[in-house]
Amino acid sequence: MAKDHEDTREYQLSNGLKLIVREDHRAPTVAHMVWYRAGSMDEVNGRTGLAHVLEHMMFKGTDKVKAGEFSRLVAALGGRENAFTNRDYTAYFQQVEKSKLDEVIKLEADRMSNLNFDDSEFLKEIQVVMEERRLRTEDNPSSLLNESLMATAYMSSPYRYPVVGWMNDLQNMKANDARDWYRSWYKPNNATVVITGDVDAKQVLAAVEKYYGSIPAQELPVRKPQIEPPQKGIKQVQVKAPADSAQLTMAWKVPRLEVGKLDDPEPYALELLTSVLDGYDNARLNRVLVKQEKVVNDVGVGYDMISRGPELFEIAATMAKGKTVAQAQVSIRKALDELKQKGILDSELKRIKVRILSEQIYKRDSIFGQAMEIGSTEMAGFSWRDIDYMLEKMQTITPEQVQAVAQKYLVDEGLTMAVLDPQARQSVAKEGKR
Amino acid sequence: MKAFNQMILGCLLAFGVITSAQAILTIEKLENYKGAKAYLVQTKALPMVDIEVSIDAGDRYDPVGKSGLADMTATLMNYGVQDDKRMLSEAQIADEIADLGASIGLSVGGERAILRIRSLSRKDLRDRAVQLASAMLAAPTYDPNIVRREKQRTITSLLEAETKPEYVLDRRFKKMVYGTYPLADSPSVKSVGAITPTDLVQFHKQFYRTDRMIVSIVGDVDQAEANEIIHALLKRIPQSGPFIAPLPEFQRSPVEPLAQREVQIPFDSQQAHIAMGMTAVARNNPDYFPLLVGNYVLGGGGFVSRLMNEVREKRGLAYSVSSYFAPGKDTGIFQAGLQTKNDQSSVALQVMSDTIAKFIADGPTTSELVAAKANLVNGYPLRIDNNRKLLDNVSSIAWNDLPLDTMEVWTKQVEAVTLDQVKSAFEKYLAMDRMKIVVLGAQNK
Repeated sequence: MAKDHEDTREYQLSNGLKLIVREDHRAPTVAHMVWYRAGSMDEVNGRTGLAHVLEHMMFKGTDKVKAGEFSRLVAALGGRENAFTNRDYTAYFQQVEKSKLDEVIKLEADRMSNLNFDDSEFLKEIQVVMEERRLRTEDNPSSLLNESLMATAYMSSPYRYPVVGWMNDLQNMKANDARDWYRSWYKPNNATVVITGDVDAKQVLAAVEKYYGSIPAQELPVRKPQIEPPQKGIKQVQVKAPADSAQLTMAWKVPRLEVGKLDDPEPYALELLTSVLDGYDNARLNRVLVKQEKVVNDVGVGYDMISRGPELFEIAATMAKGKTVAQAQVSIRKALDELKQKGILDSELKRIKVRILSEQIYKRDSIFGQAMEIGSTEMAGFSWRDIDYMLEKMQTITPEQVQAVAQKYLVDEGLTMAVLDPQARQSVAKEGKR
Repeated sequence: MKAFNQMILGCLLAFGVITSAQAILTIEKLENYKGAKAYLVQTKALPMVDIEVSIDAGDRYDPVGKSGLADMTATLMNYGVQDDKRMLSEAQIADEIADLGASIGLSVGGERAILRIRSLSRKDLRDRAVQLASAMLAAPTYDPNIVRREKQRTITSLLEAETKPEYVLDRRFKKMVYGTYPLADSPSVKSVGAITPTDLVQFHKQFYRTDRMIVSIVGDVDQAEANEIIHALLKRIPQSGPFIAPLPEFQRSPVEPLAQREVQIPFDSQQAHIAMGMTAVARNNPDYFPLLVGNYVLGGGGFVSRLMNEVREKRGLAYSVSSYFAPGKDTGIFQAGLQTKNDQSSVALQVMSDTIAKFIADGPTTSELVAAKANLVNGYPLRIDNNRKLLDNVSSIAWNDLPLDTMEVWTKQVEAVTLDQVKSAFEKYLAMDRMKIVVLGAQNK
């Protein structure tokens, strides 16, 4: 295994900051990311959306770098930058030509401990975040449906909160809420720096030591497990929103890969089941539901075995013209029953495994993609070293194991169904000149 | 698994693609084959290859009343083909592509249809992927049953799209900005409904011929292998075909009173969506670089543009606001846009208009120009640092008929841009009294 990783190095500074460097010398560029293990699942009710709001505020100035200046400095370096917040984490990145790496490290390290924004900046930015919620959720029926699905499937797990936050929580958020969040979670011992590209690992370590090394560690708030109680039967939720086609999502509670249990075959089998159902144009659900029965217009399957919180196995479909949600549900259940009873073909599974192998090569084309994979794996509590092991493990899964997880987990006890009931838009007036 | 990884690592250590920012890979122009131009960039670090075929068969060739035909002609090519001597069904094609670990993507824009293959470079895998793509380009079957199914799916998607503010805005904006040019018409339930299998066969025969194709290849193949790929791809496709009527001219957006060029679409979304724009330039226009640099300052430069600063940073009016030029082989458009909650739409539109008007009138400041050039020049390596991005570049150079050294001289051309050039280019091509404006949302006084 070690031999496979000559290109990747891991270090830990004395303040707890973890650094992972992957050397890839194909082009003179580098991706620099810092990942904080603080996402919406670390929020509490009444303060949902805080992780994401803080992400916005991180661009609003430190003691030395005034509001907006961070982006101007990165831009002057020719850099591309942004940030993203998830249920599990918040991450910041810059991509630059390699000679500019030290400068972005310096900037990112500065805002790890010196963030200092004005109330007035907060008041403007919270408006921007509300616009973001309007754009991505309020006016987007699929997002509304997903939001309700999560809030229905989970009673106690904080995975029930939308990452962007409930609108009312955003309206009542204060600058100090954001500051408290920052003071609680933005610590070197809660962060992982990932650097990929045309670099020398030793030199990178020196730069990271220099800029991040002096930031003191601090004890993190206690994270309660908040384990979701077992579900005892079907849950359903309906969302009425402007749309033309009805949508149906069926979501089952399924296991994820647990840290320290890398040999558990079930999560791998569930990943492969996802691809058997939806991994290519002629995969089962697309073939049967879209092409043969023409009962749905589109269908997709989602499952991610790696996460901090509980996992759902989701099948989402948009109805075909004239078809009902009930008809689609019957067809989905029929396809699943067939798989549960008759299993899957060797050739189907082999096809999926070939794709997984070739993806291993294709993903190397992007240093940014590699940094994403390393960072998200680390945030879920695994090591980047586990990635190849997981992929090897995936290759050992049998058709019987895939069939077994379908039989065991795609059952009504753990099912939540969300239905989008399409409504006509209220607009009546004709188009006009202003 | 292990063998795979070691193969990658071995390659990674043995080669370097670009060793410094100065050494930019050369584009090799290959011999024309049956009238098709062909280009290659060799990158040996990864055992993979990306192949693109651009076909001069974009949406602008949709016949009147059949908008969506160009799109369906391309995107149904993989739903059944005549492969050498046997028929391959859509299911067989999809299974085979998956079994190869390859992907074949089809897409259509205003000017061109694009087929893209990504495959491992191992000869047997690559050859079969190319053979499948060749069959799609040469002999798609357009089975009437599949055509009926896909038409219905497209219509269902269109009806859904018509409930979405961004789609309704975009369709209306296109209608206004393209005027009498064919791209003014978007696919509709009626136009897609009117398309027949015969139309698809006919359109394919008319446009899918090698004298309308360009092949670009990036990856782990040498010149001889690239030539082999090109021959295999194109050998079954005819070199010419039936007469194609020339396109009408895309006429410059005229000076008009505001009432003639601004439209309000009532829509009960929470946010108003606003688009503003007009005709602009082609990619090979000598003013391309001044416009590129200028637009970075105006609305292209992410968090640091003037539009972002005025609309979002200073006033918190929108999450996203931007402007861009979309130059093609022929004249493209300039467009700016934002979304804001309904009761702010007037003020947001005013801020956006004022910002654009001031920029056209005064151009950038010296420090803005310096900052724009710094970003574009320093960031250039990020535009060419993997195979996918290289293919995008080669493809653009080939399609737009740009000089082969475009990537090498790109930063020099940016550096050479002066304040006066930016100012006069914006004044020359953009004008506030020509801008089309669409505001979609609830009424707002």
